[in-house]
Amino acid sequence: MPDFFAPKLDPLHPQRHLDALDTPFGKRSVYDSVSYCTRCGSCQQACPTYLLTAQETFSPRGRNQLVRLAAEGKLNLKKNRQLAEKTLNTCLLCGRCTQACAGKIPTAEHMLELRRTLQSRALPRLLFGLLSLHGSHPRLFSAWVKTGLWLRRLGVVTLMRRCGLTRLAGLQWVNHADDILPDAPDRPQRTAWKQKDVLLQQEPTLIYLPSLEADFFMPSVALSTLTLVEQKKHRVQIWHNTASGLFEYVYGDIRQSRRLLRRLINRRAQTAGGSLPLLTDSIDVYLFLRRSPQLFTDWPRWRAKAEELAKSVLFVTDVWPRARLTQPDKETRVRLDASALFTREGAPFDKAHKILQTQFKKNFVECLYKDADTPAFGYSFVRQNLHHKICMSAVQGIARTQTGTVFTLSGLSALELNFYLKRFYPLAQADHLTRLNG
Amino acid sequence: MHIPPAALRQLQHTVGKDNILTDDISLSLYAYDCSLSRTRPDALINLPSEESISPVLRILHQYAIPFVPRAAATNHAGSCSALNGGVILNTAGLNRILQINTREGYALVQTGVITGDLQDKLAPLGFFYAPDPASERVCTLGGNLAQNASGARCMKYGGTIDHILEADFVLPDGTEMHFSRRDIGPDWIGLLAGSEGTLGLIKRMKVKILPAAKHIKTFLVTFPSLADSVQTVSDLAAQGIIPRCVEAMDQVTTRAVEAFAHAGYPTNAQALLILELDGTPAQIEREEKQLEGICLHNHAQQFIPAKTEAERQKLWFGRRAAYAAMARLAPNVMVGDGTVPRSELPRALEKVRRILDENHIYASLLFHAGDGNFHPQIVFDERHKPETVRVTRAIKEILQACVDCGGTISGEHGIGVEKRAVMAYQYDTPTLDLFTHIKHAADPLGIANPLKLIPLDYASRTREPAALPPALQQLSDQLKTCRQAHTPLIPAGANTRLHANTRTLSTHTLCRIVDIDKTNYTATAEAGVLLKDLTTALRGKNVFCALPDGPGTLGGAFASGCVPDFYPDVLGIEALLPDGSYIRYGGKLMKNAAGYHLTRLFAGSQGTLGIITRLTFKIFATPVARAEARRFQPAVSNPLWEALKKQLDPDGLFPALEGGMDA
Repeated sequence: MPDFFAPKLDPLHPQRHLDALDTPFGKRSVYDSVSYCTRCGSCQQACPTYLLTAQETFSPRGRNQLVRLAAEGKLNLKKNRQLAEKTLNTCLLCGRCTQACAGKIPTAEHMLELRRTLQSRALPRLLFGLLSLHGSHPRLFSAWVKTGLWLRRLGVVTLMRRCGLTRLAGLQWVNHADDILPDAPDRPQRTAWKQKDVLLQQEPTLIYLPSLEADFFMPSVALSTLTLVEQKKHRVQIWHNTASGLFEYVYGDIRQSRRLLRRLINRRAQTAGGSLPLLTDSIDVYLFLRRSPQLFTDWPRWRAKAEELAKSVLFVTDVWPRARLTQPDKETRVRLDASALFTREGAPFDKAHKILQTQFKKNFVECLYKDADTPAFGYSFVRQNLHHKICMSAVQGIARTQTGTVFTLSGLSALELNFYLKRFYPLAQADHLTRLNG
Repeated sequence: MHIPPAALRQLQHTVGKDNILTDDISLSLYAYDCSLSRTRPDALINLPSEESISPVLRILHQYAIPFVPRAAATNHAGSCSALNGGVILNTAGLNRILQINTREGYALVQTGVITGDLQDKLAPLGFFYAPDPASERVCTLGGNLAQNASGARCMKYGGTIDHILEADFVLPDGTEMHFSRRDIGPDWIGLLAGSEGTLGLIKRMKVKILPAAKHIKTFLVTFPSLADSVQTVSDLAAQGIIPRCVEAMDQVTTRAVEAFAHAGYPTNAQALLILELDGTPAQIEREEKQLEGICLHNHAQQFIPAKTEAERQKLWFGRRAAYAAMARLAPNVMVGDGTVPRSELPRALEKVRRILDENHIYASLLFHAGDGNFHPQIVFDERHKPETVRVTRAIKEILQACVDCGGTISGEHGIGVEKRAVMAYQYDTPTLDLFTHIKHAADPLGIANPLKLIPLDYASRTREPAALPPALQQLSDQLKTCRQAHTPLIPAGANTRLHANTRTLSTHTLCRIVDIDKTNYTATAEAGVLLKDLTTALRGKNVFCALPDGPGTLGGAFASGCVPDFYPDVLGIEALLPDGSYIRYGGKLMKNAAGYHLTRLFAGSQGTLGIITRLTFKIFATPVARAEARRFQPAVSNPLWEALKKQLDPDGLFPALEGGMDA
């Protein structure tokens, strides 16, 4: 046995952290996991922020070493808090580094652990507070979103922007949210999506957990997903306005994330025999739920339940029909924007790739090694300047390959990318993969 | 070391405040590379442009602040750690490909361009850049030159040193220099190769690009022993077949790869070769038949050609996954790097395996069989102190075993700080003194990547140099007499090129062809051997070399600078220096990245640095294109050469040539 003591990042507050990470090579403590970085640098050229800055401080290798030095007590984080936060919060958590890494070092997880140690607030305070309501007070959250959308339709947000109110400290995110959110969703679609509640099945065979964006802003994504599962003869129960705990896992308190997961597990257990598969349209939620057992390492009973949940989670590619969906447009070139949290490897990515390849054949554009993707899950609200540059690189890649449609694996990524495409390359558009179903 | 505030202010003025970082986090994150070495610099400078390099170095020189050039920091030798503190110069931002000229076959690149990026740009144009280090996706071209990196294609195409046509270089005092392969005089670009930033900073390079092979065929061959696989490679060379790539693995590696990458490697074989041929379809077909015959003659168990491009990619995927397969077994992978003469490879590998077993170390063995270059990949946990001590001890023993087998401690990874101590085991005091002189000539203040490459206090630790043979002793005595009498002299061979009034010192007594080695395909001859005698002798043994069959001596052809195309073939050199000391560098090694490349320094030096006494060079089983002999011209001096002359020959014993006659 090694004769060293494995230090912890935050020994005084173990409950704020993961006890161990589930890696492809078994359970590892954060310190152990980060120590597997051999500093070979294979990850560097995969990291969007390193490609932009050419600085070790904004590279996966640098970030991992930061965690290691902090754990070993060789770097005083309190003294260097501001810079440490900058290094941490610039990380996209995209997992491209993990994909390039020989040892599959989960850099994104290390970043989250260090964020938790620093109690770092990556999102603007007001936005964080409002989005936190989704988990803690879903009804209030729903009312808030609906009111916000209503006010936006009335032109209040536009007025605020014109008056310069959104330039005030803590309100700048409103500008970006207003930019990326679609104009009022198509009324028939909204109505159809609402009516789906009425169609709630008595004996469901599948639970659909719509992402926040599909639930509130992009009914077309939700409807397309439902069409997919209905083609598979599933009877679907929709869990509207249900938080998975991902938001809290990434931006908030991991204890709240655990609470929400437990709630989800219990609710599933009480639904139709307790063994229904759970479908989501967001790759981020899918990947989070798949790795949810690592939140319960210290609670064997809950871990077993979380493992069961993880096994039951489906992404839209898992319910994809075998037949080709529609006649592809022979002129349009398409590509896949594999923007996601934590990783770029695994079945959903391979399947999505295969679906587009089968559907579009020669018109499917393979992405190159360094082609940029849209940063995922709210990064634009964390580091808007870097987000802008990365999105511009993505748009350049799309324009260079004369791509007409970019398919994403989450609604939010499609919204973000569409905003940039509309402004800088209007010949292309972004959409969620599920919309391929019409 | 403390950086004076005045220096900091000047640096800030030159590169901008944002490009100088002195915070704890930045300094800690620039303290390492891929080796175990970790030391914090005092400041970090992100170089924003090529133009800023010279002014920055001038300021650092003014205040005698040590600096370490650093790009991707992927080296395994600890070349990028700031041992003396000082400043890290981050060149990663200088990453523009400035020009690709397919008509003339070159690409103009900045120092921080990623090697893989250049390959990506060249591929659609039907071209490629031949050196292919395993880390090409992340390492930089400047770093490749500084470490003299090479890869699987080295046997056929050579390493980085052979693919740089021009280089813009900045000396530690800020003096800008431009070196070209067309220059008359020493091969300065060759000297920069493997210098690890100890002579200055590489700014820009013009690299050679080649048309991509249209037809490539890859084979997987398994053997019952490592010795059989190595013998196969020797037999290939004997038949005149130079594969595009020859990669070998032992059973530990193939098993690790199969467990991880499922590349389809048979795991029951003790050794495995991946061979790749390129050329015309007819040539490939012919060579394939020969190849199969040679493999079967050497007890090959399986001979599997890749039938499709997908199968070929799968074979290479396995090879590329070898590091990854080991990296997931333990927190650290130490990749060793030793090179021995090809014939010594089985003996060296046996020694290596014994050392690993004795130290209870788990490691796989990978090797570029064509070059005699092997890489033990040792997995361990650096947090476990006793294990780390065992590993570092084993690596040292492995490197010493390489030297004992007539090899070198680095084939392509460099020396840095990790192998610095073993340099005293490989080289004798005069050779290390020459390295020190070269360093002092370029960097009198010792600020460029200090404490790297040359061992500390080596005089007491080096081995006793062998006694000189009588002919050399006689030459050495003559040299001593001239030095005492302050009589300048010029080394001369057959006097075919010289037309000087200065007294000459003839090497006609050094006229032996020492060795023609048909196992390693090398020949060793003394400098005074006439070219026509040499080529006749080689032909008599049914081997060939690239030297022209003209008048003059071997030493003259090499030192005059008239046959530059012959330089890459020269593997080893022995020379008598102006102070009477005798240096030995290289040998029957296909590559050597330990220390400054002395063969390139003496190539074309026109007798100004010493008397070349003996050369070891490549020979071939089939006739090769003769190197073109160009008109003799006296070399043009430059500040580096002048400084080196002052170091080596302060009394001006060997003056520069004036005028000459046609070769």
